[in-house]
Amino acid sequence: MKTYKQPNTVGRFGEFGGMYVSETLMPLLLNLDKSYKKIQKDKKFKKELNDLFKNYVGRPSSLHYAKNLSKYINGPKVYFKRDELNHTGAHKINNCLGQILLAKKMGKTRIIAETGAGQHGVATATVCALFGLPCYIYMGSKDIERQKPNVFRMKLLGATIIPVESGSKSLKDAMNEALRDWIKNVRDTFYIIGSTAGPHPYPKMVRDFQSVIGKEAREQILKVEKKLPDYLIACVGGGSNAMGLFYPFLNDKKVKIIGVEAAGRGAKTEETAATMTSGTPGILHGSYSYVLQDNDGQIKEAHSISAGLDYPGVGPEHSHLKDIKRVKYFGVTDKEALEAFQTCSKLEGIIPALEPSHALAYLIKAFKNKHKNKVLILNMCGRGDKDLFTAAKAIGFDADE
Amino acid sequence: MNNLDTLPKKKILSLFMTCGFPTLSQSKKIFNEMLSHQPDVIEFGLPFSDPMADGPIIQEANKLALSSNLSTQQSLNLIKELSKFKNNTSFVIMCYLNTVRKFGVDKFIKSIKNIVDGIIIVDLPFEEESEIKKSLSKNNIHLIKLISPMTDKKRAHKLLKGSKGFIYYISATGITGSNKLDYKEINKNVKSLKKVSKIPVLVGFGIKSKKDVLEISKKTSADGVIIGSALIQKYFDLKMDISKYLIALRKFIKEVKV
Repeated sequence: MKTYKQPNTVGRFGEFGGMYVSETLMPLLLNLDKSYKKIQKDKKFKKELNDLFKNYVGRPSSLHYAKNLSKYINGPKVYFKRDELNHTGAHKINNCLGQILLAKKMGKTRIIAETGAGQHGVATATVCALFGLPCYIYMGSKDIERQKPNVFRMKLLGATIIPVESGSKSLKDAMNEALRDWIKNVRDTFYIIGSTAGPHPYPKMVRDFQSVIGKEAREQILKVEKKLPDYLIACVGGGSNAMGLFYPFLNDKKVKIIGVEAAGRGAKTEETAATMTSGTPGILHGSYSYVLQDNDGQIKEAHSISAGLDYPGVGPEHSHLKDIKRVKYFGVTDKEALEAFQTCSKLEGIIPALEPSHALAYLIKAFKNKHKNKVLILNMCGRGDKDLFTAAKAIGFDADE
Repeated sequence: MNNLDTLPKKKILSLFMTCGFPTLSQSKKIFNEMLSHQPDVIEFGLPFSDPMADGPIIQEANKLALSSNLSTQQSLNLIKELSKFKNNTSFVIMCYLNTVRKFGVDKFIKSIKNIVDGIIIVDLPFEEESEIKKSLSKNNIHLIKLISPMTDKKRAHKLLKGSKGFIYYISATGITGSNKLDYKEINKNVKSLKKVSKIPVLVGFGIKSKKDVLEISKKTSADGVIIGSALIQKYFDLKMDISKYLIALRKFIKEVKV
C-alpha cells in the first residue's frame, strides 16, 4: 500500500465522497473548502485550537489500561482512549471547536447543527455559548424523546431546539432539515456537521479535527508499551470518533483496525443501522458512500438502541477503507451492546455510552481467550449518563423509583 | 426533435408535479388535467425519500407517493403514457441522482429517450456531470442547469457553456416554496444570465399566484416561470379531496396561464 493520502482535491476517498448537492449549496461548499484550506496553514488558528483543547476540553484525554476487563476477556491488553472524559462527555467537542473557530474567521454570525444522540448538539451548544453565537439545533422528535437529559443540557446552554417531525424523526431527517435551513440562510449561517458524513469538505474537515484522538493515542501507547498497538477498535455511526482514532495509524500497516457498526436487531433484519454490512453504495446527504436503501434507491430508516449510531449512511472514508480492506467492519446487536454496557460498568467502574458499548461488545465477543500478548486500543468516545434512562428501560429497571 | 428547442420567446409557463402523488391512479388524472392546458413545460418530479433541496410541501408529496410503494419504473411508465398527448409541451424530469444511479444511468436514459426533452438532476453539480451529460446529449435530452443567487458570474459562465433547453433560476435563496420574492435582485441576476447564455431564463421557487407571475413578467427580464409547491399545496388546503382538487387545479392553471 502506498502512503495514504485521501481525499483528493474534490473530496474523493477512492470512488466515495464528493459533493452531490444542489447549486444553492455548491458555491457555499466551495467557499467553505477554500476557507478551510487557508486556515490549515494558519499558525494562530492552530494555537488557538490547541489552547482550547488543553484548557477548555481537558486534553490530552488519558489512555487507561483496563486491567479488569483485560483479565475478564483473557485476550489482549486493552487500553481505553478516554475521550468520554472530555468536557461535555464525548469526542464531539473536538470537532465543534475547530468548526466554530472557522465560522468566526469566515464572519458567520449564526450556527446550526443536527444531532442524533444529542452529544453533537450539546457540544455545538457549548461552543456557541463560549463564543456568544446564536445556536439552532435540529433534532428528530424520536431522539428528543429518548435523549431528554441532553435536550435539557442544550436548552441550559442557550440553544434553540427545532424538533424534526419528518421521515423517521431521527438523525437522517434532522440533517435534511439542517441542510434546508442552510440553503435558506446561506449568507450568515455556518452549519457545523458533527460526523465524517455529508458533502466535501465536511468528511475531511471533521476527520482532521478529530484526529487529535489518534495522534495522542499514538504518542501515549508508544510511551507505555514502547510499541504501536496491534489492534484499534471503535464504533461507527457516521464515523467521526473512529476516523479520529484510525487516521493517524492508517500508514502503520501492522496495526489492525476494526470498526463496529450497530446491527440493531440483527444485520440481516430490517431493523439495523449496519450500513456497511447490510447496505450498498448510494448517495445520501451530498456524499457517495454505503447507505441502507431499497432497489429504487429510496433510503431506508435505520434502527439502533443507540441514537448516535442510528444513521442509514456512513462517512465516505469508511466506505473507502472497507473497500481497500484497510479496516474491517462488523455489526453488533442492541442486545450485545447492552450486555457490554453493564459488563464494562461493573468491571472498570466506567459507564460507557451505548455507542462505544458496541465496540466493547465486539471486543468481548471476538477477542475472548484469543490474541494474548497483543495490545489493543478501544476508543471510549462517550460516557453513558445520557443513556441511563434508555438502558434502564431496556434492561427492565424502573429508573423512576 | 426536442420540444425545448422551440419554446416561445416570452411568458413561458412550466408546471411541476410529483409523479405518483397522491396515488398512481389519481396522479394520472392530475397530469391529464395539467396536460389539457398545454403548458409550455411539464416537470415530472420523481419521488425520493430524502429530497433535501425541496421544501416541506414537495417532501410531503414525495412521502405520499412513496407510501404506496411507487417504483421508478412506474413513474417512467406514467410519463411514457402521457407523452402520447404531449403535442408541443416539453417534458422534463426533475429528480435526485440516487434514483438515476440505482435504476442504472444507461437504462434510465434509454427509457426516457424520445419521451422526455430535458432532465434536472437536482444534486448533480457541474463538477460531477460530464459523463451523464455526454450520454444525455447523445440521446437528445437536455441537461437543465440550476442557477442560484449564490452562483457568481464566473461560475455561471462555466455552468452554462453550451447548455440547452432553459436556465432554471432559483429566485429566492431558499428551498422550493419558501421566502419572499425580491424582484430587484431577480432582475439583476436574470439580466446578467442573459449576457452569458441565449437560452430562456425561467424563474422558479416561491411563485404562488397569478400576481407573482405578472410581477415577474413586468418587473424582470425573465422569460417565464416555474410553479410547483403552490400547485401541490392546494391538495392539502382542500383536505386531500381529489375531486375538489382537480377543479381547483383547473382554475389555478387557467389563472396563471397569462
